[in-house]
Amino acid sequence: MKFQKRTRSSLFIIALLLLLAACSDSDEGSTGKESNGDSDKASTQKITIFQSKVEISDQLEALAEEYTSETGVEVEVWGTTGDDYFEQLQIRLNSDQGPSIFSLQNVMEAEKMKSYVADLSSEGYAKDIAPGMELKVDDKIVGVPYGVEGFGLVYNKDLVKPEDIADYDSFVSTLEKFKADGITGLGLSKEAYFLIGHISNYPFSLQSDHYEFIDKLTSGDVTMAETKEFQEFGKFMEAIKVNTPSPLDVTYDKEVGDFAAGKSAMIHQGNWAYGMLSDFDIDFEVGMLPFPLMGTDKLAVGVGNNWAVNGKKDEAETKAAKDFLNWMFTSETGHRYIVEEFGFVPALTNIEANDLDSLSQDVLNASNSGQTIPWAQNYYPANIVPNDFAPKAEEFFLTKDMTGQEFIENLDDAWKNAVK
Amino acid sequence: MQNKHNKGWYLLFTAPLIIIFLTVVVIPFVIGIYYSFFSWDGIAANPKVFVGFDNFIKLFSDTRFLESTWKTTFFTILAVISVNVVGLVFALLVTSKLRTSNIARTMVFMPYLIGGLILGYIWQFIFLDVFTLIGEVTGFEKVFFNWLIDMDFALYALVFVFTWQMAGYIMIIYIAGIQSIPNEVMEASMIDGASWWQRLKNITFPLLMPAFTISLFLTLSSAFKIYDVNLSLTGGGPANSTEMFAMNIYNEIFGYGNYGYGQAKAIIFFFIVAGITLTQVYITKKREVEL
Repeated sequence: MKFQKRTRSSLFIIALLLLLAACSDSDEGSTGKESNGDSDKASTQKITIFQSKVEISDQLEALAEEYTSETGVEVEVWGTTGDDYFEQLQIRLNSDQGPSIFSLQNVMEAEKMKSYVADLSSEGYAKDIAPGMELKVDDKIVGVPYGVEGFGLVYNKDLVKPEDIADYDSFVSTLEKFKADGITGLGLSKEAYFLIGHISNYPFSLQSDHYEFIDKLTSGDVTMAETKEFQEFGKFMEAIKVNTPSPLDVTYDKEVGDFAAGKSAMIHQGNWAYGMLSDFDIDFEVGMLPFPLMGTDKLAVGVGNNWAVNGKKDEAETKAAKDFLNWMFTSETGHRYIVEEFGFVPALTNIEANDLDSLSQDVLNASNSGQTIPWAQNYYPANIVPNDFAPKAEEFFLTKDMTGQEFIENLDDAWKNAVK
Repeated sequence: MQNKHNKGWYLLFTAPLIIIFLTVVVIPFVIGIYYSFFSWDGIAANPKVFVGFDNFIKLFSDTRFLESTWKTTFFTILAVISVNVVGLVFALLVTSKLRTSNIARTMVFMPYLIGGLILGYIWQFIFLDVFTLIGEVTGFEKVFFNWLIDMDFALYALVFVFTWQMAGYIMIIYIAGIQSIPNEVMEASMIDGASWWQRLKNITFPLLMPAFTISLFLTLSSAFKIYDVNLSLTGGGPANSTEMFAMNIYNEIFGYGNYGYGQAKAIIFFFIVAGITLTQVYITKKREVEL
């Protein structure tokens, strides 16, 4: 009796295990067959793209469709997540569900993803990348820039004149004047990069060698609080806090919307904001001016994003991904999308840029005439902006009596926390 | 024979569940403990460095983590009280002879059916636009402003929304408890001349003890583990003032890329939650009375 009972139950378990094993077996078998089929005819190959720029997701999907209709290769564009893109990317790559093409912001991220990025040095378009703009790890090109971008004070030409914001004093008096008129002088928004990330570049970029400065900051040889560029930056932030409504209530959409509606005279944004501005019927001209820290007249121009290929996928998929990028950078359709649809200022010399929007034109002009300062943020410790800078900036804007100098000291703490 | 037959069925139905439980709970948990002894940035190709108990020792000097612990505790205390009080009051209301009790029951339960993420975004809008509008119209700007950008009020906003979400669910549990109280006892006490308060204190509450056990357990553990509402409503901000336990762990792991250290936090988190909820169940269980 007892024996029978036990055999019966063990038989059950064995049967169940067999069933499970059978299931997984047949699964594997079928996928194995499929992927074999894939490499035979490229037309059933599928690639996936996961990138961080929200502004171009719709346009990128349209481009993907054109590519599919031209070559038959299916391209799937995954939805973009925004601020936590890099975390999401890491999760997906770790669970072996990574995309074939992804985006990297800078060399710090590329170093981290070193084991995944494919070498693009031998691709045909590699020689066309504007000098110094390529993303390199161990002397291999692993990322191709989306385009060059610039940020600064995007201003309404009806309300602001360049000489109104030429240095600290004129900047402050302009903000005060707008405050008296009931107009927001300078709009920021609560997203980490728009709140503090981009604007925090200036004091770094104005150092004679910002790489060296950042290394020294990390090792503790200098502090921001004792550096004069940062001290003035603190004063600027204080003036912004005192004279404009709190940015913590404001989203990117609202920031740009208010600017388009004439409720704010300036916003701190980049040329990417034009995409959204053009959705509004604006009846004034817009332009971009440098943020006048230490009276500088140079725009911050750099590469914000790079295309990278996942080298850990099977060979056919990696190749298909490279083909897609090649098509995008060499075909007419690809060029048209990069310039007209994405609104990028091209970073590849073989792409001609005509009819740029007014913000991109300002960036291109600055870039051509060399009136630029670099993006120091590409050398920031990974994720420091959302992790450490943003909470400090929120605290700064919430605490009425915190001075700019105290804010800079807080940023010093944030830096120490990020590199520890 | 009957018994043997049953056992087969028993196995058939439990085995899939056991397998799923093993693969998605037990095994990851064990792997998690393993990772907590390493320093690792989460990228498969990069080396894992064995550091022993260093991660656990580091926890006690991590001010951000300790602050988050304190805030989570504070939040949980507030949330457990408010959810249970509101749930119980609603349960008592809708079980009394109210004409609209059925509709009221549905309405109160409804928020629970909305996912935490969506709920957070809805309330973000309410705090931002509706609250400021009420403040402007009524002049009570001290109370009605955007709570989410105040370092103290953001936590209360979280308690408020969490209560709004959970109270209906807890109410259902209390209703079931109240309805299972036999009518004879109630009637007998009424004949003896017991007042409404005396009936509530001496009959309803003691007999509701099992419902208290369940409700407290559910609210306690879900308040401790809150993440979705936290993420969508405040995102941990402003200035990390509402960064709860779970979010702190997430940020440590995926924000800073410290997989091992984050895992150590998660293990500690598990022991705290398990310890508190088990103690609570033990205490309230003892107070349950059988008829």
